[in-house]
Amino acid sequence: MAPPAVKHAKAATECDIKVFSCPKLGNSLEEYEDAWAHRQTRTPVGIRVAVADGATESSFAKLWAVLLAESYVRSEVTGAEFFAQLKPARRLWRRRLAGRPLPWFASEKAEQGAFAAFLGVQIDNNRWTALAVGDCCLMQVDNVGEGMRVVETFPLQKSSQFTMSPYLIGSRSIGDSLNERIQISKGSLRDGDMLLLATDAVAAWLLKQHEEGRPLWKWLYRKLSTPESFAAMVAYGRKNGLRNDDFTLVRVIHHDLPVEAKAS
Amino acid sequence: MAYQAEISRKNPGCFLFLIDQSESMEDPFGGGEAGRRKAEELATILNKLIHNLCIRCSKSDSIYDYFHVGVLGYSEESCKPALGGELSGHSLVPISELASKPLRIEERIKKSDDGAGGVLDQTVKFPVWFDPYWKGGTPMCAALKEATRILETWCQEHPKGFPPIVINITDGEATDGDLVVEARKLTAVGGDDGSVLLLNIHLSSTAGPSIELPTNANKLPDQHAKQLFQASSTLTPFMVARAKELGMPAAENSRGFIFNAQPLHVIHFLDIGTRPANVHLR
Repeated sequence: MAPPAVKHAKAATECDIKVFSCPKLGNSLEEYEDAWAHRQTRTPVGIRVAVADGATESSFAKLWAVLLAESYVRSEVTGAEFFAQLKPARRLWRRRLAGRPLPWFASEKAEQGAFAAFLGVQIDNNRWTALAVGDCCLMQVDNVGEGMRVVETFPLQKSSQFTMSPYLIGSRSIGDSLNERIQISKGSLRDGDMLLLATDAVAAWLLKQHEEGRPLWKWLYRKLSTPESFAAMVAYGRKNGLRNDDFTLVRVIHHDLPVEAKAS
Repeated sequence: MAYQAEISRKNPGCFLFLIDQSESMEDPFGGGEAGRRKAEELATILNKLIHNLCIRCSKSDSIYDYFHVGVLGYSEESCKPALGGELSGHSLVPISELASKPLRIEERIKKSDDGAGGVLDQTVKFPVWFDPYWKGGTPMCAALKEATRILETWCQEHPKGFPPIVINITDGEATDGDLVVEARKLTAVGGDDGSVLLLNIHLSSTAGPSIELPTNANKLPDQHAKQLFQASSTLTPFMVARAKELGMPAAENSRGFIFNAQPLHVIHFLDIGTRPANVHLR
């Protein structure tokens, strides 16, 4: 479940990171198929955060989502070349299935491979670079003014753009048209900016609330702190249009580097 | 709003297939390769539909019961459950039962890309639930009546469920009454989320272009096709959108009617969760 906040006080970028997640209503925690990971970069200039959403209609999708998120935070690249580096992750996925006795239908489904949506973000020196395939979404909100302002949403901008059949990353092969589906964006951060990385259902719902004049940004910034508060938001959402799905929300609050950390 | 219910293991969907096993199904099929009987085409379609449903519901090393599935065959004077083997006599069973109890599993050779510009022969499992069969008349009205009876019970047991989808596969002419009247009764059955949807797949001996999801009967070749079109439900807006996404020529007011074509996309008219756009349907 949600881990404690991670502070990177000595990094050139300082962020508070909190992760909130829960499985689809009616499913057990073992059936939750999203994944997330975050890690300080090897050179202490920033952090890398990733979320991945294993597709319901694919098998062994949780494993693949975890491998994607972990591969990203352990990598150093921020562009499309990341997807060319997934051979070890694909090999590991296949190895975990090898020799496993499967009934005919499970064997055939596994032959199709697992699929997941992916979003990775690297933050350093007040800049972020995001890489995405599919419909996991990044939302940047600034802390200026009472209402807070959406600075950027990526790769989707509106709740109406989410569908039930996005193009996803497969565990079996790179795919003919992956290059056309890779999306990259960059932006800058100001002190107090909030980045939200969310899997599709929660992202679509947050954008919908925003579009309809009921934004939750301030609440997410100031009130969301515990698994209980996330559960309360999900309960409210389920009564107000939040689609039943696995939910994952990573909240990153950026702070300008403290003077003493800069000196060190 | 109707047709919005989430399909899950707790709240499964339902597919009921009605299959024409009358003697006219022995005749050649007009929409495919020469020398193929309509009954053979029907068996192929049904085996593929059940196969694909099993694959859709397969999850890691198990299978989730997202759907209950039944098959009724009609021939001679009556309509009866057509599942064989261990499932003989059952009208509706969870998809996991079908997946684990086909009549037999054959091994077939499939040509596949070897990744180096060549073709590779690959042995694949091919489960078979149905073999071609034909005898006697076409009691399609009896089948629609029996479907009505079975689905009234199912809807009472699943009042919040997504309404059942009935897929009738036939070569056309009912010999026991007015099928449009019986179809109206069947599609009046329902629960909180709407009423039964009836899709008709017409396998004709008449050669000619296939027709999928038409909005009117103008281009249909004969009276039997027109009658089946009339008996078919109008697709829901979601189904129209999904059909378009799958490359079918659907439009607002499209009917669930397909003439001389394999209806393999129809099982994707219902959602059970995120489906990768880059998995090609069989």
